[in-house]
Amino acid sequence: MSFWVTVIRQVGRNLRQTWGSQLMTLLTVSLSVLIFAFFYLIYTNMLSLGDKLGDDLTLIVYLEEEPGPELQQQLIKKITTFDEVEDIRFISSAMAYERFAGQLGQNEDVLDDMPKDFLPPSIEVIPLKNLRSLNQVKLFSAYLAKLPGTLKVQYGQEWVERFYYFTKLLSIVVLLSGTLLILTTIFMVAYTIRLTILGRQDELELLKLVGATNNYIRIPFLLEGLLQGILGSTIGITALYTLFHWIKLRFSGPGLLNLFEFSFFSPIVSMSIIGVSILLCTLGSYSTMHKFLRI
Amino acid sequence: MNNNTAEPSETMIEMIKVSKLYPPDVVALKDVSISVAVGEMFFIIGMSGAGKTTLLKLISSMEPPTKGLIEISGNPIHQLKGFKLARLRQKIGVAYQDFKLLADRTTAENIAISMEVSYKKPSIIRKRVKDLLAQLNLTDKHNTITCELSRGEQQRVTLARAIANSPTMILVDEPTGNLDATTTEKVMQLLTKCNKSGATIVIATHDDSIYRHTSHRIMELREGRTHAIVGGNGT
Ligand SMILES: Nc1ncnc2c1ncn2[C@@H]1O[C@H](COP(=O)(O)OP(=O)(O)OP(=O)(O)O)[C@@H](O)[C@H]1O
Ligand SMILES: [Mg+2]
Repeated sequence: MSFWVTVIRQVGRNLRQTWGSQLMTLLTVSLSVLIFAFFYLIYTNMLSLGDKLGDDLTLIVYLEEEPGPELQQQLIKKITTFDEVEDIRFISSAMAYERFAGQLGQNEDVLDDMPKDFLPPSIEVIPLKNLRSLNQVKLFSAYLAKLPGTLKVQYGQEWVERFYYFTKLLSIVVLLSGTLLILTTIFMVAYTIRLTILGRQDELELLKLVGATNNYIRIPFLLEGLLQGILGSTIGITALYTLFHWIKLRFSGPGLLNLFEFSFFSPIVSMSIIGVSILLCTLGSYSTMHKFLRI
Repeated sequence: MNNNTAEPSETMIEMIKVSKLYPPDVVALKDVSISVAVGEMFFIIGMSGAGKTTLLKLISSMEPPTKGLIEISGNPIHQLKGFKLARLRQKIGVAYQDFKLLADRTTAENIAISMEVSYKKPSIIRKRVKDLLAQLNLTDKHNTITCELSRGEQQRVTLARAIANSPTMILVDEPTGNLDATTTEKVMQLLTKCNKSGATIVIATHDDSIYRHTSHRIMELREGRTHAIVGGNGT
């Protein structure tokens, strides 16, 4: 009991003595947690968005002429050698015509003068519903374009590619901000604790002389790092949560953002981010102690 | 007064042929051998620069000896490390010649440090601090930061910190250098009291008023060598 009273009093003393830089560190830790969590949140939401968009993804291979049943089998075989697919559907000219007519509805009569086979036959290839196939869709379409008798391959080319590069970019940003988080937490915490230690050389020297154990001297500094981690990461995550809800409220109603269901981290992910930050901060204080508190 | 402590049943400090060299070539101590019994009061005297402080530094393991062996209650202290060394130091109270007070802390906080490191209860610490301050005429300085104290006051705070944790051995370096006769008397009374309750005490001084009439052993150092050991029963 007395041990913790003494240790906590010591922590309080440290904090009071260097509160300026302590505050700076806290701010930095919170900010880097916020930045990292912000990008990570966008990233995870993009991934689930990609999943949903992938549901509607279909590659349409337009063919020169109607394939016979034998050729159909061959084509299926060739397509599946590239990758497993969800489904392959053959659309004949006639089917395409009917579908088009159906889409036109009342204006169907504009088709009256057209021959029934003015639309080319096609194959609809539906890739597996996962992000990997989304990323590969470009390669896949290039492959399909080389199949014999192919006129052209169509898919939501533009957006799929953009989306793909966007998620790629995001993952890099997430990595970078993650690195930033690691560096700032470890180094800032290490730095402030070093400041405290250097500012109190005399006292630490005396403590050793009057018989303070390693634990007595070190635990307050470890706790200081721990505290920075707990406070900093909690503030960071809470700030992001508040921001998230504010944006959701602001932009609710009809609008682009409303097309997709954005969601915050699950409690487990939030706790993991907090946990890792705490660990990093403690690591920071531990590393300084190892350098500057040799006993 | 000088009772059976002169026939040592147990030795507190055992020094055998201890030398201390400060680089490059300052011989602070040369072949000093002493044996101080548990519960003894022991004076070290000598001119300025004779090596008194150095000797105390060696005993309290602030400095390692260049040569020789030092044992405290049978432990070769310069082989102790970490937890064991810390525990031993908790049992040794040292009043440093240069005080080593924390200038920005109050008198009470400075004295409390030596008890805090062995995790004494805050209530016990408070009581002990008040007690000691009263005995050293410093009651009104309880909350004064130590850099605002006079040297004589600082000296007494240092002494209070040294004995606060009721150590088994107390090393005092020049405890009365800045004190008037009456205060000197008070300080010596306090040290005697500690000695009576069993603590081994080593006092380094050149204030002959405190050792002139003593019946305890006195060692005189000259240029780092033992010049003479006088006093005590049968020494
Ligand atoms: N850290 C040091 N480095 C080099 N020389 C030192 C050191 N400390 C002490 N000395 C030298 O060792 C010798 C003994 O010093 P010491 O402090 O033990 O003397 P002292 O008897 O305590 O003197 P005083 O009565 O003035 O306090 C002196 O010549 C001193 O200059
Ligand atoms: Mg001296």
